[in-house]
Amino acid sequence: MNKTTGILPRLATALKIALAVAFLIPLVFTILVSFRPEAEPVTKGSIFFGSEITLVNYQRALVIAPWSLHYLNSFLFVAGVLLVQLVTVTCAAYAFARLRFFGRDLLLMIILLQLMIPSGVLLVQNFRTINMLGLFDTRIALMIPYWGSAFGVLLLRQTFREIPIELDEAARIDGANLLQVIRHVYVSNAIPAYLAFALVSVSSHWNEFLWPFIITRSEEIRPLTVGLNKLIKTTDQGAFYGQLMAGTLIVITPLVILFVLFQRHFVESFARSGIR
Amino acid sequence: MSMNTPRRPLRSIAIPYLLVAPTLILVLMFNVLPAIRTVNDSLYKPARGLNSAGKPPQFVGVQNFQDLFDDSHYMGTRFTRSFRNTIIFALATVGIGVPLGLLLAILLNREQPLLGLWRFAVFYPSLLPLIGAASIWSFIFSDSIGLANAILKSVGHPGLNWLGDRNLVLASVVIVNIWKQAGYFMIFFLAGLQNIPRDLYEAAALDGADSLQQFAYLTLPLLRRTLLFVIVVSFIFAFQTVEQLQALGEGGPADSANLLLYLIFQNISERRNWGYVNAMTIILIGVVLTFTLSNFLLFERDEKDS
Repeated sequence: MNKTTGILPRLATALKIALAVAFLIPLVFTILVSFRPEAEPVTKGSIFFGSEITLVNYQRALVIAPWSLHYLNSFLFVAGVLLVQLVTVTCAAYAFARLRFFGRDLLLMIILLQLMIPSGVLLVQNFRTINMLGLFDTRIALMIPYWGSAFGVLLLRQTFREIPIELDEAARIDGANLLQVIRHVYVSNAIPAYLAFALVSVSSHWNEFLWPFIITRSEEIRPLTVGLNKLIKTTDQGAFYGQLMAGTLIVITPLVILFVLFQRHFVESFARSGIR
Repeated sequence: MSMNTPRRPLRSIAIPYLLVAPTLILVLMFNVLPAIRTVNDSLYKPARGLNSAGKPPQFVGVQNFQDLFDDSHYMGTRFTRSFRNTIIFALATVGIGVPLGLLLAILLNREQPLLGLWRFAVFYPSLLPLIGAASIWSFIFSDSIGLANAILKSVGHPGLNWLGDRNLVLASVVIVNIWKQAGYFMIFFLAGLQNIPRDLYEAAALDGADSLQQFAYLTLPLLRRTLLFVIVVSFIFAFQTVEQLQALGEGGPADSANLLLYLIFQNISERRNWGYVNAMTIILIGVVLTFTLSNFLLFERDEKDS
């Protein structure tokens, strides 16, 4: 702001560079180690590229787990969660934002309990529920606890309330039915909120591990994080870090690309997401 | 409904409930009822013995909780350590991670060349799956070929056993968590900083306040809400994010770096420990609930003020 060349601005720049480098080092070395011969200390050969650049780690990592299948599973998981969420969240948010009915505040309170008792800490009981429903080791079991989203209801209720009620009334006078009103008045005027919700939902479920690990057994439906866990456990036995880093990159690259593409939206969405 | 409105047809009375039903049923099924069942099951011990699978559990009152706080009990030792670790883990993450997030936000708030790149550099860790982040750090911390020890050795230090030394594992896990979350905290502070009118700074500068004074008397007080919010959220997160342990020592030697939710996870297939698992879940929920409620009360009130 002030153009004076004091010590403080220069200190700030130095600090900024130091912190950025510190945060990036893990990523940079993950990439470098993935192309380095296995079990070669970083001090051997060139510090950056080792004694030679090799693709062996990737070839090995690719054999250990069926990554394209895990990719598909992760994709189906987050897409299946999001699509159902969009419907449940929109309906509930509309009712709470614009309709009057007996018990409305109480029902909203019950839904908000999800923010206080997240399903992620209720592993044992939810595991039992899924078993009782006979859903163990199915795709439905993976997704079902996330189909209702208190965060989404809160976010969209707030957004819907800011939409002028006159638009709603005008649409009804034109003969629109309830679903048409929700779609053309509310949904189409809340796209930024939906985008924020979608980004938060997708990125948090893409990263989910404990629940998928507990509730599935077949590789055919397990997501990427569980595949990566298998690679970690393989590595434990022999310190194949090159292979592990290659596998880690296979898993994280799409999210990083997604972030680079949508950086601005990500930053804004996460700022609104206080609670997942 | 007031007296003079005509009776609405049944269909339109039912509509709001139909719209709310899916979310409500799911929340009841996977949050509310399991929480109630957890309370109930924490008062029981599973039947013992070889053919106990079909036998009813035995009511033991608060015995499970007493065992957990009994340091001579096998589960008590594990619980006490993990609970203590979780508190240390949360305090350390908040105490270092939150100020770091604030510092990053201040450094990366104003327009500057390559802003997107700088923000990416510090924010990308929070996008990674926790288990992927942990996997990266398992290499950095690895004994023989890891980066951390390579750096230490280059300055003449013999190197440390980051994931094997019971006095060090928890610190290693905390480092990973701070690296993972500082950028996420930064986002909230950036949003908070954007809400501070710029002319306030110009006025302060005219009055002769230097940057540090502006920070202490303007930025910090005006960020009070955001700061509180981030602290509470990061506490809640600290109790729920444990997957990194899967790649970082699995709780360390003798639970020296175990965390509460991970201990629960480790015992989920041990039927005989289900009473304890439920009791531990109650304690975990109690802590999370306290923080979330205080969050709600603090910010609901603030929202009414503004």
